[in-house]
Amino acid sequence: MDEKILDEIIAHYPSQSGKTLGILREIQIREKHIPMDTLKLLSGKIDVPLSRLYALVTFYSFFSLKPVGEHLITVCMGTPCHVKGAEKILESLEEHLGISEDTQDGKYLQTTPDNKFTVEIARCFGACSMAPVLRVDGELHGYVTPEMIPKILEKYGWKR
Amino acid sequence: MSLLGNGKRMVTVTINKNQYLAEEGEIFLLTANRLGIDIPHLCYEKALEPYGACRLCMVDVVTCGKTDMTPACTIRVQNGLEILTDTPQIIKHRNLLFELYLAEAPKSEVIKEMAAKYGVTKTRFLKKIVHDDPLQGKCILCGLCVRVCEEIMGASAISFINRGPYTVINTPFYEHNPDCEGCAACAKVCPTNAIVFEDIGTNRVMQSWSDTTVPLMICPECGKPFAPQRLMEKVLTKPESGLIEEIKDLCPECRRKYFTLREIRKIPTNGGQA
Repeated sequence: MDEKILDEIIAHYPSQSGKTLGILREIQIREKHIPMDTLKLLSGKIDVPLSRLYALVTFYSFFSLKPVGEHLITVCMGTPCHVKGAEKILESLEEHLGISEDTQDGKYLQTTPDNKFTVEIARCFGACSMAPVLRVDGELHGYVTPEMIPKILEKYGWKR
Repeated sequence: MSLLGNGKRMVTVTINKNQYLAEEGEIFLLTANRLGIDIPHLCYEKALEPYGACRLCMVDVVTCGKTDMTPACTIRVQNGLEILTDTPQIIKHRNLLFELYLAEAPKSEVIKEMAAKYGVTKTRFLKKIVHDDPLQGKCILCGLCVRVCEEIMGASAISFINRGPYTVINTPFYEHNPDCEGCAACAKVCPTNAIVFEDIGTNRVMQSWSDTTVPLMICPECGKPFAPQRLMEKVLTKPESGLIEEIKDLCPECRRKYFTLREIRKIPTNGGQA
């Protein structure tokens, strides 16, 4: 991230309260992840130890240290979706995209080797009436079945 | 010895139905320890504010006939304080905690010994096995190292990373952290001796903290490395370090030698006869 943009973001937060998380949130939204260099730069600029920032970024599931691919697929794992088979949806996605569930930090965020798709999981979207749901780049898909996955993926340029 | 000499009031506390005299405002855990009443604990550190993280020092506070489980390290002695330290409920709680700790830090001898002392040798929980754990499978995540690094040393070189079952303590991005001063206070306060570091040549290597390497100060007198450079610089810039100019760069051994030699030189060679 450009140092000038970072300075602008920091300038949005003149008071201490909510400053650190607010800045991190804006970086996450802008860059879709928190770049390591930006975090280091930020630590010096707002005089918060890097260890503290790193603790925050790894704690909240909202933040990600890994860059995401072209399309972001968020699978809802809230209770109603879970009951309606969200686990199967995720399995189907993993199978089609060739990603695995391995996680070292407890956060589910998998990107395909060609950097086209990133799959993450979330808790409730508030669209339980359409469970199970998933979201691709902000677009909601309801009543999803594992069989529908290839069709949804093809809409975003996935090829068998 | 005067009971009131230091301005502190002596009050009466009741522990397990026996009455004792104790200093008002004292941390109850210390009072009990001093009186020989055994309360197990892991995360109490006198240099830091009581935190109640390990939950092992749980005791029952009796108020108006009702009991309330509270960590002994967060209780301050006051007149009429009534405590029970070994009720069946407390023992049950303690034993369960020991089982959890045996699963959390399966390699820790400290935990094993402590648990065995209370009759707990096995755990029903899944043991946490981490390959190449920089904390040797001994960390209980009490946070003392993180707190001492931030609150006492002001370095904030390490922190909690991730959360829930994935929580670990290390440097940001698991890489060498220039914020570390190599003071090793973290290793000193660790209740389970999980933190490893070693002085290799003229460097101190914090093996648990992603091999963060800090250069050591070399004694100009004997040429031996003795303390982390950055730490020494910090100490020496303190006003009134109380050190005289000639010895301030020397290692503790050479400082002692300097004083001994000075004392010897003062003794007249003719045995003190005029």
